[in-house]
Amino acid sequence: MTKLDLPNYKDQSPEVKARFDDLKQRDVILDVKHLGKIFDSAKGPVTALEDINFQVHRREFVTVIGPSGCGKSTLIRTLAGLESATSGEVLLEGAAVSGPGPDRGMVFQGYTLFPWLTVKKNVMFGLRNQGVSAVEAESEALEWINLVGLEKFAEVYPDQLSGGMKQRVAIARALAAKPRILLMDEPFGALDAQTRSKMQAYLLEIWRHIDITILFITHDLDEAIYLADRILVLDAHPGRVSELIEVPVSRPRAPEQLLRPEFLAARQRLDELIHPPGQGDEEVGKLNMLRFANVGEEVQPQN
Amino acid sequence: MQRCNLTSRIIVFVVLTLSLASPSQAAAETLFVGYSDWPGWVAWEVAVEKDWFAEAGVDVQFEWFDYAASMEAFAAGQLDAVTMTNGDALVTGSTGAQSVMIIIGDYSNGNDMVVAAPGIKSVSELKGKRVGVEIGFVSHLLLLDALESVGLTEADVELVNVPTNEAPQVLASRDVDAIVAWQPNSGQSLSRVPGSTAIYTSGDQPGLIYDVLAVSPRSLYANREEWSKVVDVWYRVVDYILDPATVDDALSIMSARVGLSPEEYAPLLAGTRLLRREEAKGLYQETEGFDSLHGSTSISNDFNLRYEVYRDPQDLEAYIDSSFTLGK
Amino acid sequence: MTSAPWLAPRIALSQQRERVLTLLSFLLPLLIWAAVSYTPFIWHPNMEITEPGSVNYFQEGMQIERETFQEEYNTQLEAGGELPQGFRANPVYLPAPHEVAIAFYTSFTTEPRRRSEQWLHESLWHSIQIIFWGFTLSSILGVPLGILSGTFAAVSRLHEPFIEFFRYLPAPAFGALAVAILGIYDGPKIAIIFIGTFFQQVLVISNTTRKLDIALLEAALTLGANRRQLLFKVVIPGVLPQLYKDQRILLGWAWTYLIVAELIGTSSGITWFITQQARYQNFDNVFAAIMMIGIIGLLSDLLLARLGKRLFPWERSSNKS
Ligand SMILES: Nc1ncnc2c1ncn2[C@@H]1O[C@H](COP(=O)(O)OP(=O)(O)OP(=O)(O)O)[C@@H](O)[C@H]1O
Ligand SMILES: [Mg+2]
Repeated sequence: MTKLDLPNYKDQSPEVKARFDDLKQRDVILDVKHLGKIFDSAKGPVTALEDINFQVHRREFVTVIGPSGCGKSTLIRTLAGLESATSGEVLLEGAAVSGPGPDRGMVFQGYTLFPWLTVKKNVMFGLRNQGVSAVEAESEALEWINLVGLEKFAEVYPDQLSGGMKQRVAIARALAAKPRILLMDEPFGALDAQTRSKMQAYLLEIWRHIDITILFITHDLDEAIYLADRILVLDAHPGRVSELIEVPVSRPRAPEQLLRPEFLAARQRLDELIHPPGQGDEEVGKLNMLRFANVGEEVQPQN
Repeated sequence: MQRCNLTSRIIVFVVLTLSLASPSQAAAETLFVGYSDWPGWVAWEVAVEKDWFAEAGVDVQFEWFDYAASMEAFAAGQLDAVTMTNGDALVTGSTGAQSVMIIIGDYSNGNDMVVAAPGIKSVSELKGKRVGVEIGFVSHLLLLDALESVGLTEADVELVNVPTNEAPQVLASRDVDAIVAWQPNSGQSLSRVPGSTAIYTSGDQPGLIYDVLAVSPRSLYANREEWSKVVDVWYRVVDYILDPATVDDALSIMSARVGLSPEEYAPLLAGTRLLRREEAKGLYQETEGFDSLHGSTSISNDFNLRYEVYRDPQDLEAYIDSSFTLGK
Repeated sequence: MTSAPWLAPRIALSQQRERVLTLLSFLLPLLIWAAVSYTPFIWHPNMEITEPGSVNYFQEGMQIERETFQEEYNTQLEAGGELPQGFRANPVYLPAPHEVAIAFYTSFTTEPRRRSEQWLHESLWHSIQIIFWGFTLSSILGVPLGILSGTFAAVSRLHEPFIEFFRYLPAPAFGALAVAILGIYDGPKIAIIFIGTFFQQVLVISNTTRKLDIALLEAALTLGANRRQLLFKVVIPGVLPQLYKDQRILLGWAWTYLIVAELIGTSSGITWFITQQARYQNFDNVFAAIMMIGIIGLLSDLLLARLGKRLFPWERSSNKS
């Protein structure tokens, strides 16, 4: 297995270091303590998550990555309150969460727009639930629709939109409900490469402009690095935190950065964690190195 | 989450439907009578069409039914009176829906038949043959009577249970050698199977089946006056039908009730012996045999007991009230 | 692309082809019926006698099996008697199309002969009302119950096992009970339509509700929807288009119960017409009445389908693709 001559992924430029120092000063939005989740399946109990601990700070962008089936979705669903934890607890701004709530917005891979509502009505949904008047909700919704660049489609039903547009509506819908944190489970997983990189840019733009903290699941290593301040790497069986990587790439991000040494250093580290040497065979190792040069293309990590 | 359970929903439904659809039974003066498709009962249509009940000063509502459905409705207490055969009055009564026969309207005079397949020309030839009949009902009684008339018993034939309205098809299929049915099915069997013959009919044994108006004892007790007027109207109807001057008008009214032309209907009426008051009076004696209502009903009672249509013998006295016809 | 194959799996047909095939779907059975009726050598198992000849039991206008006719014909031929004559005919219970068409027309235009009799369209209207009330009452209870039990497992457990059992019981068997409770007029008839529809309805609709993508509920939960909002703003609008389709199918089932329902209590509606005409073997009228029911069913379903497209505009584009 050859290795490129890259800097250590832990080396941070002064600019990046200053940024992390600032980040760590901010309030803790999300505090996950000893979180465990065991499913009762027909074949017996399945430990999906075991003793997960991490914190997310205000306006931080954290991505979660790990091999397929390691418990990423379970983690995010537990944070959203859609699954209940078997052990440990989740604190949102210091308060324990139980059950779903509008303070944790969620964007799913499968869009989940309400097909019977127009784009505008979809975005108004969370506001109306909270008792905001129709007029107010409408004008607020239109602002969010503007923000994701879909003002022309406000009165259109979701099934007339492309996948990327649908996901923009889903993001607008989640943000309109004013959550403290946005939980995203492989939101761009079903999009083609081009749309996906556009969506990444959109998301970073939005994130830069509003007070929102994001926890973002992906299985695309480049996406994980490109978007994140920190990357939560999970191990499989049972799902455990393997490392919390501070991304040594400066902000604002741009696609050119994908070829910079610090980016590649982080990329190599992720590769090591997700495909530990000796676990895959030589073939797989080679394939991984090949992928290295093929920036932007995503390949499902395997073990 | 508030939710009433299923049963209370059904109760609500029942109440709803009741209030929507139930007849105005509260008006106790209206007498509800169920009638069905038999010439002796269709005859009532003449009185209905001509408004004779109003003339007689009695409020009667005639409702048209399928025969079985009319007895069901009577048994369910939804009717004050129903037209049926004397034998079926006993059967209905055995289930708890007692009735009193106040009119002997007619007896079947050829409408009920044993129709045999081509080649069989007499009842005695039925020996060892298969006969389709509605077991336990009037047709069965007719068959037994037919067999007895030539010295045979039921053991000499093989019975197949065939509802009267399927008789034509069954005979045509040749799965049986004879069927027993009444009009219009008996006539249709004859025309459907060329060469078939009616080897025995109710005309051979008048009085085997009497067609009556049976009234619930409760209504009879409460409205004796009214029922007496109804009986008077009935004999007016009979006279009208039997009068050659008016028979055509009667036929056109009756045929319209069943959706036929008067010409088609004439033969059906012919097989029904309508009884004028004077003739009917003679049938109220307490004699044995078919020439009295009492005798015929008693034979039906024996028959029903034998075939376990019911278990306990019926009190025949309670079923017959001759006073309306006799004018006591 | 005029030469697209007629049989392309799951590919929509052009409008023109669709129209042609729709027309054919009605024409083909009609053609078969006409062929059987008007071509003397197809089926026609009977002979209708025009001249009885010397056969003693033959009568003019009587129908008889061809074999029997042939036997009698041969007998007369040998015996040197007068030969019977006749033409091939179908049994009376298969009237020809034109006879049914005439019956169709005349049954509507024939004036009632008795004072208490109704025009045919009045009888039909009566039947439609029976269906309407039976189906409406069933829906008023069945639709909400179906949606609730599709949404809440507890509701489903509470009555679905019983309904699963009850739906196998033949609705007409409750006729006598219905008459005893509801009288002899429309009550028991409506009740039979109700019983025939309700239990299926609850199961079908709860199943439809259960098929709603759970992710939509989860999305709504993360958008702060409470239980009531979940039910009224997600579940109900989410299942509405499919529920509407279910209702159309269930309405068809309700029609199939009409004939038994109307035999209960007083004879009424179109069933009175059908059974009475069948009893006296006027099968042209029977066929005409059956056609009427078919036409009413088809037209009302087309109407509802049209209406559905207006009610659920978001479904339109997905239907197109
Ligand atoms: N409802 C459930 N019942 C039983 N086991 C479950 C359930 N949901 C998830 N699991 C198991 O928990 C583990 C984690 O699943 P999860 O879907 O969270 O993985 P993931 O990391 O999101 O996978 P992927 O990358 O494929 O999306 C898997 O082994 C899965 O089989
Ligand atoms: Mg997942």
